[in-house]
Amino acid sequence: MADYIKFAPDELLERLARTLKKEIGPAVEEAYPKTQAFMAAVVLQKLAGQLRLADEHAAARRRDLQELAEELDPLTVSQDTPPSLRAAVNTVRQDLDTASVSDLIETLYATRSELGEERFADLIGRVRTRLRARIDREMVYAA
Amino acid sequence: MSTPDHNRDVTERIRQYIQTKLPNATDLRLEAMERIAVGWSHETWLFDAHWTESGESKTQGLCLRRDPGNALLRHFSDLGVQFRVLQSLASTPLPTPKPYWYESDTSILDQPFLVMEKVAGTCPSPWGSAGRKFYAEAAARGALPKSFTQTLAALHSLDWEAAGLSFLGVPESGNDFALREVQKWCELVKLSQLEPHPILVDLIGWLKANAPDNQRLTLVHGAYRTGNLLIDNDEVSAVLDWELQVIGDPMYDVAYVLTDLNREGSELLSHLVERDAFFRDYEQATGIEIDEAVCQYYGMLYQLRSAAFWMSAAGLYASGQSDDIRLARTAWSVPFVLEGAARALGY
Repeated sequence: MADYIKFAPDELLERLARTLKKEIGPAVEEAYPKTQAFMAAVVLQKLAGQLRLADEHAAARRRDLQELAEELDPLTVSQDTPPSLRAAVNTVRQDLDTASVSDLIETLYATRSELGEERFADLIGRVRTRLRARIDREMVYAA
Repeated sequence: MSTPDHNRDVTERIRQYIQTKLPNATDLRLEAMERIAVGWSHETWLFDAHWTESGESKTQGLCLRRDPGNALLRHFSDLGVQFRVLQSLASTPLPTPKPYWYESDTSILDQPFLVMEKVAGTCPSPWGSAGRKFYAEAAARGALPKSFTQTLAALHSLDWEAAGLSFLGVPESGNDFALREVQKWCELVKLSQLEPHPILVDLIGWLKANAPDNQRLTLVHGAYRTGNLLIDNDEVSAVLDWELQVIGDPMYDVAYVLTDLNREGSELLSHLVERDAFFRDYEQATGIEIDEAVCQYYGMLYQLRSAAFWMSAAGLYASGQSDDIRLARTAWSVPFVLEGAARALGY
């Protein structure tokens, strides 16, 4: 945010949303632009919430994935672990991003028969625990 | 957004088109022209055509649907296919609007369109308070819930091969139908150009691993709920929104009726029908036993469908294909769907 305005971006968005909702929207007569004004207010409010929590959530996501990789590491070193799964866990540890965890999930499903039901359920369960925390955080600004 | 001038222009162009279809008509005029703002798919106009032919005054209510070029689900929902479906259904007992003309020539109204009969009735949206009040009152009277179930039963009992609907594609035996649907909605996720959330990836993996076998194939509407049905005198006067129809497992439609997605906290399925009565009347009318386990599977598939739908909607705004801010808003609907999927997957 440029120095020539003393607003945190999320505060600015909240203020714009309030103006749209309380002043601009009610003054519009025609149905379509009126709906657009109110909907713009909703979008700005949600964006403000997402922006406010962005750094905190990004850090939590990385921490979750780091812990997940550490947790899965000893469970996927044995000789009977499919190499693709081992590689997917390594990628999570290195990249700590959404694509790597999605790839890990796809690999778990692809190697399910090799892993057996019990081991598959254990491993996917550990991934799901971390994703549960992630969706709970995302619901804070989506709600 | 349409302006009064734009509307006058469209009205006149429609009138000129209908005149070509009614060469013996004189004094053709269109009255009660109304553009209805329902949904985000096709643009819809309702109007009454009045003309004189062989000295006789004639009136016909018509409905015109035009492809706006950036409609949601446009990849699945070609107006030409809709027209063929309506033609196939016209001679069956299922209440549907009679189709008149389809034009792919974009020089007429800029985009492909179809013209069909304007059927008597109203189509209250179940998402607003007025619609919910309408359905709650109708539920209390009792006739409309029965008609809702009987119409779905008629749809599933229809001889789709005899009606000429095989062109929709016939799934192989086994779990081909469910896998086709999973694939279809995965493609919509891809088209949104958004990185899928890992919960969505998990859901897709689960759906592929657990796809049930078909027990039978019927015509499946794909979005059978209040809001997609025209109601007249407490009866379904027409089944509308033929955009997602397939030949497939009837439990796919039944699961849509049963899903929480279409009742938002109401005790009544689709804001209208008691669950027990729906089971009893549907099974009695079709002879098909509702398989709740299979319906639960399709309920999960609807989570994928919803996520794909909202991602696609937000993608239309993000890519600049639409400036409708309601579409941008849908980006924040995705986490709700994913949270539901996570719960269903046992997170």
